[in-house]
Amino acid sequence: MFFKIIAKDEVPDLVRGIATEYEVIGPQAKGTAFVFAPLKDPADLRLDYDMTILPAKRYILPERETLMRFSVEDNEVVEAELDAPRRALFGLHPCDVNSLLLMDNVFLDGGDPDPYYKARRENTLIIGVSCMPAPTCFCDAWGTDETHRGFDIFLTDIGDSYYASISSVRGADLVDRFAKGRDITAEDTAAFQERSAAFKAAFEHEIDTSQLPVLLDAKYDSPIWQEFGEMCLACGACSTVCPTCYCFDVHDELDADQKHGERVRTWDSCQFKDFAGVAHGNFRDSRASRVRYRYYHKQWGYLSRYEKVLCVGCGRCTRACKADINPPRVVRALQTGVVDR
Amino acid sequence: MTASTLASPVQLNPYRPWPARITSIIDLTPQEKLFELRLIDDATRDAFDFEAGQFVELSLFGVGEAPISISSAPSKQGFIELCIRDSGDVTGAMHAKQCGDIVGLRGPFGRGFPFQEMKGHDVLLVAGGLGIAPLKSLINHIHDDRHEFGKVTILYGARTPSEILFRRQFEMWQHREDFDLMLTVDRPDETWEGEVGLVTKLFDKIDLDPDNTYGALCGPPVMYKYVIAEMRKKDLDVDKIYVSFERRMKCGIGKCGHCGVGHQYVCVDGPVFNYWEAMNLQEAI
Repeated sequence: MFFKIIAKDEVPDLVRGIATEYEVIGPQAKGTAFVFAPLKDPADLRLDYDMTILPAKRYILPERETLMRFSVEDNEVVEAELDAPRRALFGLHPCDVNSLLLMDNVFLDGGDPDPYYKARRENTLIIGVSCMPAPTCFCDAWGTDETHRGFDIFLTDIGDSYYASISSVRGADLVDRFAKGRDITAEDTAAFQERSAAFKAAFEHEIDTSQLPVLLDAKYDSPIWQEFGEMCLACGACSTVCPTCYCFDVHDELDADQKHGERVRTWDSCQFKDFAGVAHGNFRDSRASRVRYRYYHKQWGYLSRYEKVLCVGCGRCTRACKADINPPRVVRALQTGVVDR
Repeated sequence: MTASTLASPVQLNPYRPWPARITSIIDLTPQEKLFELRLIDDATRDAFDFEAGQFVELSLFGVGEAPISISSAPSKQGFIELCIRDSGDVTGAMHAKQCGDIVGLRGPFGRGFPFQEMKGHDVLLVAGGLGIAPLKSLINHIHDDRHEFGKVTILYGARTPSEILFRRQFEMWQHREDFDLMLTVDRPDETWEGEVGLVTKLFDKIDLDPDNTYGALCGPPVMYKYVIAEMRKKDLDVDKIYVSFERRMKCGIGKCGHCGVGHQYVCVDGPVFNYWEAMNLQEAI
C-alpha cells in the first residue's frame, strides 16, 4: 500500500476519468435517504452520506440473474452467458468493503468458486471512503470499522483533502492519470491518525459481543427467541438490506412457447416460511426458529467456517426492521436473557 | 458493458448440469421408481467418482432441481441409480420420464459414509422407509467387498409390505448367511408373514459386539432419536454411529444457504454426519 493526498476539488476529475473506463456507481441522495446508483454527474456524488438503504452487493450478486438459458425438450443448456461489466463502486464505507470480503469467503472459496460472482468481482473497482458513525452503526463491535484490503483506493477525509490509501496497480494507475495528488507528509499522517481516533471515539453504544457462539448454543432454548419470533413479521427486509446475506434461490422460468426458458437465481431469505421446507415438511416452520437461525448462522455458523461473524455492523437492518429486531438488541438479549423494551 | 461467455468445460461452472441418459426404469412401489442414469460425456462419466451416502442434484430444465441420494454402489462404474419417490415438482416430472430421455445431473456432493474406516469391523445398518435409498449404496458396496467386513446386520422398516423398497432383492438376501437382514412393517397385509412393528423392535433380536461395530442410519426425521437410543442401549460408541440427513440442498456447494442445520451445511458437511457431531448440532435430531 502507498499513499497520496488528493484534494477534495480533484475528486470530480477523478470520477470523470474513471467513468471513461468503468460504469461508476456511487452514493447519491434520494428523498431523505441515500442510495447507491449509477452516477450521471460527479456533482451528484455524496461522499458525506451516512448510510444507503441497500448495500452495493447487488452489483456483485444481483437480486435476479440468469444462470443459463435452456431447451426443455433435450434438457440442454443453450447459452450460459454472464454479465460482468467493468464497474467502479465509488464511496463504500469500511463496513461495506468488509462485507464483500465476507461474501468472497463463500463465493470464491476453495473447490467450487461461483463463476458469476467471481467474474463480476474481478471486474469491479472498489473505492472506499471514510465515514463518521451514525446512531445505528456498530461496526466497531466486530472490528469491521477498519479495512486494510479489499479496495483499490481508500479515501480518508482529512479536511480539505483525502488521505488516499492505494492498494492495487489499477488503483495506482487511475490516481496517476486522473488526479494530480501529491505525496504525503508527516503532518498528513498525523491528520489521518487524528481523524481515525475521532471516528473511533464517536461511537455512542458499546455492545458486549463476548462468547456469542457459546451463548447461542447454551441459550438455544431461551424464551427470548419466542419473544423475537412473536415480534418478527417474516418480511425478509433484514436479509434484503444486509450486505452479507448471500442466500439465494434458483428456479426455472419458461418462455411463452414453453420450449425454452432460463434458470434464474434470486435473493432469498431464511426468514421466509418455506426456506427450509422439504417434500414432507418444514424444518423451520415457526418464526421464532427462523429468527434464531438468522442469528445462529451469522454469529456462529459462518464463524465456525471462516473465523468471523457474518455481520459488519452497518445498521441497515436496524433501520429496515419494522419490528425493531436488530443485532445490538438480540445480542443484548442473549447476554442478559431478557429482551429489552 | 462487456459480457464474457462462461468457459465451456462444465466443471468450471458448478451450476451447469451434465446431461445424462435414463437407461432403465424399474417400478419399485406405486410411489417409487428406480432410475439408472448414464452420463453422456465419456470423460465426465469416467471421472464421476462417488462415495456411498453422497447425493446428486437431479436437474430437469423447466421444472428445477432436487437433491437425490445415490442408491448404487461406487464399485459399479459407468452408471448411477437413483431411487425416487414422486413427492414434488421435480420428482413428479421425473416419474413421467421414459427410458432414453435426457436429464441433468450435478455432483456428487457432500460427505458419504466412512467406508474405509468401517472396513475390518461389524456393521449395523438401519433404514426406515425411503431412508434405504442411500444405505442401499453402502450395502451394495459392502457386498462387493464382503471379505473386508465382519458381521453385517441390516434392519429395514417400512409402513406396509407394498412399500418395501428393493423387496425382491432383500427377500432373497434374507436367506444369505453373510448378511443378517431383517424386515419389518408397521401395518401388515394378509400376505405378510414377517415381523410387525417399528424398526426399533428388531433390536431385541440382534446381538452386537459393541467394541467392534459401526452403525449407520437413515430414515424419516422422527426415527433418529429412537433408533439411536436402541444403538446406545447396545453400547455402540457415539462416534461409531453415522446418520444421514435430508434437508433442502439446492446448490450442493455450500452457497445458497437452504440446507443449514445448526452451524453446518448438510450439502458440504453432510449429508452423512458422525453422531458425535450430530448430537451437538442444533436442529439436527
